Amino acid sequence: MVTITGRGHNNTTPKNSNWRVVDIVVAAVIAVSSGVIFWAWNSAHHVLDFLFIAFPPSSALMAGMWLFPAVLGALIIRKPGAAIFCELVAATVSSLLGSEFGMTVFASGLIQGLGAELVFAGFRYRRWNLPVALLAGTVAGLFGGINDAFIFRWFPEYTMGMQIAYVGFMTVSGLVIAGLLSYFATRALAKTGALSALASRKAAVEPKFR
Amino acid sequence: MDTRSTLKLEAGSPETHAFGKPVSVTAKNWGWRHADRSAPALQGLDLEIPAGQRVLLAGASGAGKSTLLYALAGVLHEDDEAYSSGELCLDGRPVAEANGMVGLMQQDPETQVVQARVGDDVAFGAENLSVPPLEIQRRIIEALDAVGLDVALDHPTGALSGGQKQRLALAGILAMGPGLVLLDEPTANLDPAGVLEVRDAVINALDSTGATLVIVEHRLEAWAQHMDRVIVLEPGGGVAHDGSPQSLFAPGPVRDELINAGVWVPGYSPLVGMAAIDPAKGPALMLAKDLAVARTKNGRIAAKNLDLTVTGGGAWCVRGANGAGKSTFALTLGGLLPEVSGRVAATGELVDGDETRPYTWRAAELVGRIGSVFQEPEHQFVAATVREELAFGPRHAMKPGTKEQFFEPEAIEERVNELLHRLRLEHLAEANPFTLSGGEKRRLSVATILASSPSVLILDEPTFGQDANTWRELALLLREELAHGTAIIAVTHDQDFAKALGAEEFFMSAEPQGTAAADARVGLLEADARGGSSFLGRANPLAKMLAVGLATIPLVASMDWVSSGLVVLVTVLVLPLAGLSLGRFFTRAWPLVVAALLAAWGTALVGNDSGAVLLNLGLFTITEGSVAAGAATGLRAFAVAVPAVLILFTTDPTDLANALAQKAKLPHRFVLGALAGMRLLGLLIEEWTTLGMARRARGVGSRGSLVQRVQANLGQVFGLLVQAIRRASRLAVTMEAKGFGTSGRTWVRDSVFTARDLWIVLFGLTLATGAVLGAVFAGTWNLVWG
Repeated sequence: MVTITGRGHNNTTPKNSNWRVVDIVVAAVIAVSSGVIFWAWNSAHHVLDFLFIAFPPSSALMAGMWLFPAVLGALIIRKPGAAIFCELVAATVSSLLGSEFGMTVFASGLIQGLGAELVFAGFRYRRWNLPVALLAGTVAGLFGGINDAFIFRWFPEYTMGMQIAYVGFMTVSGLVIAGLLSYFATRALAKTGALSALASRKAAVEPKFR
Repeated sequence: MDTRSTLKLEAGSPETHAFGKPVSVTAKNWGWRHADRSAPALQGLDLEIPAGQRVLLAGASGAGKSTLLYALAGVLHEDDEAYSSGELCLDGRPVAEANGMVGLMQQDPETQVVQARVGDDVAFGAENLSVPPLEIQRRIIEALDAVGLDVALDHPTGALSGGQKQRLALAGILAMGPGLVLLDEPTANLDPAGVLEVRDAVINALDSTGATLVIVEHRLEAWAQHMDRVIVLEPGGGVAHDGSPQSLFAPGPVRDELINAGVWVPGYSPLVGMAAIDPAKGPALMLAKDLAVARTKNGRIAAKNLDLTVTGGGAWCVRGANGAGKSTFALTLGGLLPEVSGRVAATGELVDGDETRPYTWRAAELVGRIGSVFQEPEHQFVAATVREELAFGPRHAMKPGTKEQFFEPEAIEERVNELLHRLRLEHLAEANPFTLSGGEKRRLSVATILASSPSVLILDEPTFGQDANTWRELALLLREELAHGTAIIAVTHDQDFAKALGAEEFFMSAEPQGTAAADARVGLLEADARGGSSFLGRANPLAKMLAVGLATIPLVASMDWVSSGLVVLVTVLVLPLAGLSLGRFFTRAWPLVVAALLAAWGTALVGNDSGAVLLNLGLFTITEGSVAAGAATGLRAFAVAVPAVLILFTTDPTDLANALAQKAKLPHRFVLGALAGMRLLGLLIEEWTTLGMARRARGVGSRGSLVQRVQANLGQVFGLLVQAIRRASRLAVTMEAKGFGTSGRTWVRDSVFTARDLWIVLFGLTLATGAVLGAVFAGTWNLVWG
């Protein structure tokens, strides 16, 4: 029996932490698609602007949009570093499309990605179910919110209450948009057969809670 | 042009030849089982292909032809669930050890290209094989010459046609010097001219290298005469037939067997047995009058002076060269794009209500009247099962101007069952549409549009890449529709198909600026031509990023108008170094101004109130103090964002990736993987727009309640992700087949640091220091963490 493996494929490293070429490219393209979605989103979400103008911290409710590449990428690729890699590439794409955050977008991407990454690492990259996805989205939102409100301090004029409200809104947004939507998107993608080359190809038939 | 990014060409040493020696293939009782399948794709395969032979692999779809190619290319991986049996060797050695002996080309031109510039793309595979840079530079010229691609080395790959992209991919393979060339339906996505262009390039290249060739193709006409041997694979088994093209394709049982399997055997046309029809001319349904069309609102006019009267039961085939605007015309007729000038109007029975302009109809009003079938079936899938997919259109169809359903529920049920039966999809009724085979997807996509009984049916290249059986079924189905009085308009290069429908030709001549369509996509990610050759354009991207990063530090640290103002001022002053005028700067930077104003408003609203009250909004008040704070916030946001424009405008992502991998020593697999993914950005943006139109043609509206709109948007996002991941998987195969993923590689384009880069970093440092000192001395320094 002959072994057919790709060039550079190393059988001695543990299966789960070994990034193959297809993992790298799919992760990058998920991040790039997120960039396209941000771009489409930017021209579509003005229906909700009135809300944010009345109470500015509520704008964080939509911030989960910027976090979903981390959770979606990790759920699909299932390799250490996927959350950070996807979020960083997505940040790069949004900076190429003209970001309002300048160079700081890389630092933000890193911190948000780290939030999700820590959760997946905490489960030793072995659990990809709904609760873990929700937790990853939540922590990404929490990290993102703390980053905006207390590290970069984009809103120094907010009262402490408003800063905390901002972090709270972003955490909820991370839970719903980055966590919940990414989880069900992964399952739906697995049903189409598009994930057949990836570790998540069976995501659609895995139990949600175990 | 930019001197730094132009590859230096030096004469190579004549004694080394770029091309490897021909390789033989041996399979002994070989088999492969894919991870998510129960039955093996191939088993018990015994095969011997001598070095230098040209072999055509044929067989029904699902016979494992592509699996064999991928295994030979070394891109199939064993894991817990996917495994091989038996032996598969190249020149007597297992495939796994065959680094650089094999080149693979797939059918989708967009994912055969890895890099943004022609020269870089040809070099990619050879770089991965660690060929010395000087040798690669020689091979680039030789390979481009061999495939007859006469374009500049820094020509953007995004601007090439499909046929040119495939020839470029072939050049990249040749530059690796493989002894075995594998082609997986290399011309399935090309028009007839493109097919011959690529075929000639392949044959030419092989004549000069003598490499072994294994090709999988459905359309054999163009290739058969150039082949030494044809191998027909048995589904799930080994070799069914093996012989010369002359013997296998001669009239007889083998030929008949191949025809039954849907193979396009040379000289066979599925037209046989179809009587010529002369479509009846019923009442007029639609007309285009003095119409001009364009892809985007303010985009280039793709075609103009178009006049057509569409009558019930009539068929038209839209023909013309690439870039003549055929698809744009079809989309405009279908009510999916607005007319630029002139008009598209429904007449006669197609008008119901006051509105005659299809573009203004709601999606639900469109589906029962005009149906558009897109080239890529997956673009139009909106449901989770085949049955729901068929029911979707009729269920959403509404009578014009009302909220009344077009169809009764019982009628829908009946129609769906009839179509399932008619198209032999009954056994797949509960399957996910995305998991069907190519031919089944095509049949389904046509059926979903027919399900809501439109009077006018518009199809874009419906026969591209289809086997002869699907072709025949499609032709018969559409002939039935014509007999029922449906009008059919097909954009197609397929003359037999036009003949099968008795279609009248509608010829479109290309506008003089015909190549501009392809240009539109270029430049989204490449540095602006003027920016790229400016002072900053020739600097190392890392130096620029470091400088801007340094200048950002005081802005993050302090909320004051002095440091922010200073950074904005200096950025504006150095614009000429980036080749930017103030006007061009603002065309790029205006969204940042808007963002800054929003930030300022937020602060003015909630900031600590002091001074006179300017505006009282109940919960919040705006005062002189809060306005001042708001201005500082807005200016800070603006100052953080604008210096990045200098980088954006002057930095080519390829150069950035090279710098990150070579100078910053980030792992090159991740950097180059990310770069390759980013090259798809423009393509995916285009795909997003196409998806929007394809889904409107299915009755998915952009109008309706908030919930409906959110659902429609999420569906479109999902459609984009499916397409993106499919493309990424193909791109990964391309990259891996080009030797990508090994630990070492050479770089044909060196990333260098010069004195200029040192000055740029020092300048950034000086600006940062100046901003801090300026604010401290002015007494405005205001640490945000205080």
